[in-house]
Amino acid sequence: MSGIERVIQTIGETVVVGAQHGGGHLATVEPGPTWMALAPFLPLVGVVICLICALVPRLRTSKLPAWGTVASLAVAFGLILATWLSLDGRTLNVHAWEWINLSWGDGPGRALIANFAFHIDSLTVLWMLFVTGLGALIALYAVEYMEHDVGLGYCRFFAGFSLFVFSMSCLVMADNLLLMYLGWEGVGFCSYLLIGYFYKKPSAVAAAKKAFIVNRIGDLGLALGIMLIFVQFGTLEYGELFANERLLHYKDLALAGDFAQIPFNVQLIALLLMVGAFGKSAQFPLYVWLPDAMEGPTPVSALIHAATMVTAGVFLIARMFPIFLVSEHALPTVAWIGTITALLAATIGMAQFDIKRIMAYSTVSQLGYMFAGLGVLTSVGAAFHVFTHAFFKATLFLCCGAVMHGFAGQLDLRKVSGLRSQKGWMIVTLAMLIACLNLSGFPLTGGFFSKDMILAEAFVTPGFRVIGWILLLTAGLTAYYTFRVFFRVFVGPVDYEPGDEHHGEPGSFHPHPPGWAVNLVLAILGVGSLLVAGVYFVGGEHGWVGSMIHDSSAHYQADGTHAGTLFGQDPHTIMYYVSAAIGLAGIAIAWWLHYAGRTEAATCRADRLAFTGSRVARWARDKWYVDEFYDFLFRRPLWLLGQVFYFIDRWFVDGLVNVFGILPRLTGWAVRPSQSGLLHGYALGTIGGTAVLLLIVWLVT
Amino acid sequence: MIERVAFLWPEIALFVATCVVMVLGLSRSLALRRLCGPVCGIGLVIAGLLALRTPASPGILPQLMPYAKAMIAGVGVLLLLMLGGTVDREEEEQIAAGQRTFDAARTNRAEFYAFFMFSFTGLMLCASADGLIWLFLALELTSLPTYVMVTISSRSARAQEAGVKYFFLGALGAAIFLYGFTLIYGGTGMTRFTDISAVLAADGMNSITLAGVMLALIGICFKIAAVPMHFYTADVYQGAAAPVSAMLAFVPKTAGFLAIILLTTMVSAAAGETGGGDGGWLPEPVRVLLWVIAAMTMTVGNVLAILQRSVKRLLAYSSIAHSGYMLVGIVAGPGDGTFTHNGLAAVLFYLLCYGVMNVGVFGVVACLERRGKDGWEEVENLDDLRGLCKTRPLLGWSMVICALSLLGMPPLLGFWSKLPLFTSAISAGELALVIVLAVNAAIAAYYYLGLVRAPLLTDPDPDAAPMTDTPVVWRRLATVLSASGVIALAIAADPFMRASETAGRTRDLMKPDRGGADEHAEAAPVVPEDR
Repeated sequence: MSGIERVIQTIGETVVVGAQHGGGHLATVEPGPTWMALAPFLPLVGVVICLICALVPRLRTSKLPAWGTVASLAVAFGLILATWLSLDGRTLNVHAWEWINLSWGDGPGRALIANFAFHIDSLTVLWMLFVTGLGALIALYAVEYMEHDVGLGYCRFFAGFSLFVFSMSCLVMADNLLLMYLGWEGVGFCSYLLIGYFYKKPSAVAAAKKAFIVNRIGDLGLALGIMLIFVQFGTLEYGELFANERLLHYKDLALAGDFAQIPFNVQLIALLLMVGAFGKSAQFPLYVWLPDAMEGPTPVSALIHAATMVTAGVFLIARMFPIFLVSEHALPTVAWIGTITALLAATIGMAQFDIKRIMAYSTVSQLGYMFAGLGVLTSVGAAFHVFTHAFFKATLFLCCGAVMHGFAGQLDLRKVSGLRSQKGWMIVTLAMLIACLNLSGFPLTGGFFSKDMILAEAFVTPGFRVIGWILLLTAGLTAYYTFRVFFRVFVGPVDYEPGDEHHGEPGSFHPHPPGWAVNLVLAILGVGSLLVAGVYFVGGEHGWVGSMIHDSSAHYQADGTHAGTLFGQDPHTIMYYVSAAIGLAGIAIAWWLHYAGRTEAATCRADRLAFTGSRVARWARDKWYVDEFYDFLFRRPLWLLGQVFYFIDRWFVDGLVNVFGILPRLTGWAVRPSQSGLLHGYALGTIGGTAVLLLIVWLVT
Repeated sequence: MIERVAFLWPEIALFVATCVVMVLGLSRSLALRRLCGPVCGIGLVIAGLLALRTPASPGILPQLMPYAKAMIAGVGVLLLLMLGGTVDREEEEQIAAGQRTFDAARTNRAEFYAFFMFSFTGLMLCASADGLIWLFLALELTSLPTYVMVTISSRSARAQEAGVKYFFLGALGAAIFLYGFTLIYGGTGMTRFTDISAVLAADGMNSITLAGVMLALIGICFKIAAVPMHFYTADVYQGAAAPVSAMLAFVPKTAGFLAIILLTTMVSAAAGETGGGDGGWLPEPVRVLLWVIAAMTMTVGNVLAILQRSVKRLLAYSSIAHSGYMLVGIVAGPGDGTFTHNGLAAVLFYLLCYGVMNVGVFGVVACLERRGKDGWEEVENLDDLRGLCKTRPLLGWSMVICALSLLGMPPLLGFWSKLPLFTSAISAGELALVIVLAVNAAIAAYYYLGLVRAPLLTDPDPDAAPMTDTPVVWRRLATVLSASGVIALAIAADPFMRASETAGRTRDLMKPDRGGADEHAEAAPVVPEDR
């Protein structure tokens, strides 16, 4: 343990009464107090407020939807804080109401029970803390950010926002997989609604559709995984599932390395769930929707597509860790996919010019880190990275949003420069700096510690050293592209041109700096991102997050495997120095290429590099043509197939239907003369019909 | 005999209201004349409430009365709302304009409302019937007033013609089933259902009784507008004013089905094993007869409805088809008594649903009119409904909802009513009939979707002659109530399903230990013989 670390840890332990618990994981589930179940429903109150505002013309033009949402989320955050304080390492179950209860006989596996009930353990609380906390802050930011849409659009935005938080709460707090799935689909749906918020813009509509469809592919995997869990273990409730004797038996087998005795179908579950996680958390090959999702308003990007929803995949794997442990190939696949995604997204991010898109690729890349962390069995590292990432990435997006808002939609880093020197942009610049330092892994920031935890584990876990090297390289790239944005946009000479939302004369544009709400939120988040490093030093071996994970189903501790060394040293210690050096090198290169000697926004030293004009750089800028490849591989064949089916349907099926459709009509024409309107005809028909009927009966029997 | 009164309080309430209405309608005072409708309504509501308190009877369907009578009263209120303004509107307008003075000898209002109430009294009496004579009288009390109502409902010559046709064919039908009833009496020597079924259980079916049952069922086909007695339907429904047509689609049909349920339950005693699961609930000839009638009725009704442009004729043929659907439930029989297996319960539930849905579609027609060459004319061409959702959203959407429900679109009421017909017929092993039913439901979708398409998806015809809303607010209320009932009942269907499940249980199913023929014999004489 390094000297600095030891000092800070000592301070941390004296300042904070650590939430250190001795309780083993998978503790028995106790019933919890009812008020804990209120937290997920408070956002629904926000939805109702928005709907009422949309219906009442007098309220429609007010800011009530926004403040209603902020208030409901703030109260929800307060409830979660209270839950955390009273949790004390226990696993609680709060039953709201009975939802699905089907049974077809007695005994295990003969009943499908999925209640609207909440499974509250420390993993849940960890996630809910930043879901509701960041939700409230970002809603406050959006009060100002969405101002130009006051009216129905405002109601629509905040209704979707609140509904998202409700769905996310269901996802995180559910006590069974079905409710989790409801939340999972709910967040996907809200994401669709909010990406397509500017529904008159074709690109936004296309992006919303893309996000939804790509997510469906993942959701199919998740749905199949859930079904298979029910088939295999006969329950969907976490409490019963994790206490399932067969699962525990398989887990023992898996820890002993004896995967051959675990049935294939049980091992398959994790692989299916993994597909769902890849879709929602934008991992290779299903990451393509996330960069496009930046078409949504920036608060949405910050909350849904950076801080919370996209971490649902990490949550799923963390929650289902026992299931993943019994699968031989699932966690290595997760590790490799995460690593590939991290590298791929980082290379694309380096070549982009749209700052929001750079942040989007950086999100994909950082999610890759989290998956790699899960894959190399450090669920603590992954959860810690989720936690720090939520803060600094939300900050980054909100800063980008402030720039976009102030410069009439300008997002091109070649067209804005020197914000620091302009009046009213100081808080944005400082918050951005803190967040950038976090993202690039600058020593002693939260991002530094959380990333190192994953890197160190990757190096010491047998068989994953290559992953460690790739992730280390990616860390350097991350530092470079992060500070590329900072050095281009926030410092340097003052130079800007407005974006396409400016409709006046080109010379008449004046940027307008953010107001109090945005500044307040950025200040809070900036300070939060700075302080989030502190949680590493309080409460136990792996910090506060470690203690939180320790009490949950995501806990994993295999004896002996983690005691490896790196270059003869403690891996964490050595990694501090190595990754700090790599990160600083990335920042230095960005400084040299994008700051030093730059006199205007558009050009810098990087443009003079031979590499910048090369083919490889262009490919990276064009995102390695992955979208085009998918288009060629999937969309076109499917479209062609659709044409074929359309043809068959149009000419064959419809023809068949038409032939059958004409039969009743012909019969009608044949019967019609009997309806002559003549009384004696009717009477004759009646008598004759009676006779015929009796004859038929006589003949048949 | 006097203990039968315990079951008849609803009918007595209706009869009292009828007498009051007969007098009120002839009053010189406009305010008193106007009370006709409300008094009928109060009578129906009281009858409905009294019906809920009806005790279990010792008949062959012990719990039939509470559900059937309450349902009749409920739908009756809807139909009563529709009737407002049918005969009295023009007359009162003329009196108010000073063109004529009130003349008790020429007004139709008193008999119109009184006949309506008589018809409902008869309908409830059908549910109370315990023997052939009672059933015959009840059926005729139901039908006779409707002949007159058709004739006086409109001043057009068509209504006169329709009334005459309806009367003569009705008499023919009545003759046939009365002949059937006499043959049943001749074959068994009994007139009460419990006695007859005891005799049938003991001695089996002789050919005279069988012929009587068959003729009775065919004759009753007139009431439900089934093949081969369906010819009158379109002409009569078209000729009568739309509110009366709506009534004709419910009242005689319900009476007929109550009669058929009673008769089939009665003859089921001769089927050897009753209440069995595998199609053996009726004697084979009766089953074949009903099977053929069901299949032909729905097919004929549907193929003729496809060709119609007149909404009223279309609905008339579709009402024939609905009778065919319900006959499937009769063929399926009571099964094991649970709702999804009990065809009789399915029929009873269907009658309620059909009554509610039907008011909506006829109501839309009744709410629109245009000035013709002699007075106001109903608007009944399919093209007149075009763009109704835009021009008159309330009526348009009522039409859309009710037509979708009649088509059986989930999750509307029509779906939930058709579902038990399918399930009961499948569980009774009547697969062929189920296929016929499914094919017919598909054919019906064609013309019902036409009723949906015209108001919802097309634009109003700019060249069409202008229409006005009929200035009778009660009809709109009935229409909207019906459309909202289609949704509300679909959501809260459970109590009604349970009630019909109870009502559709035969006496054999009520017994804790279901047994064979022996038990019938000893359980039969519950009420002492006092005739």
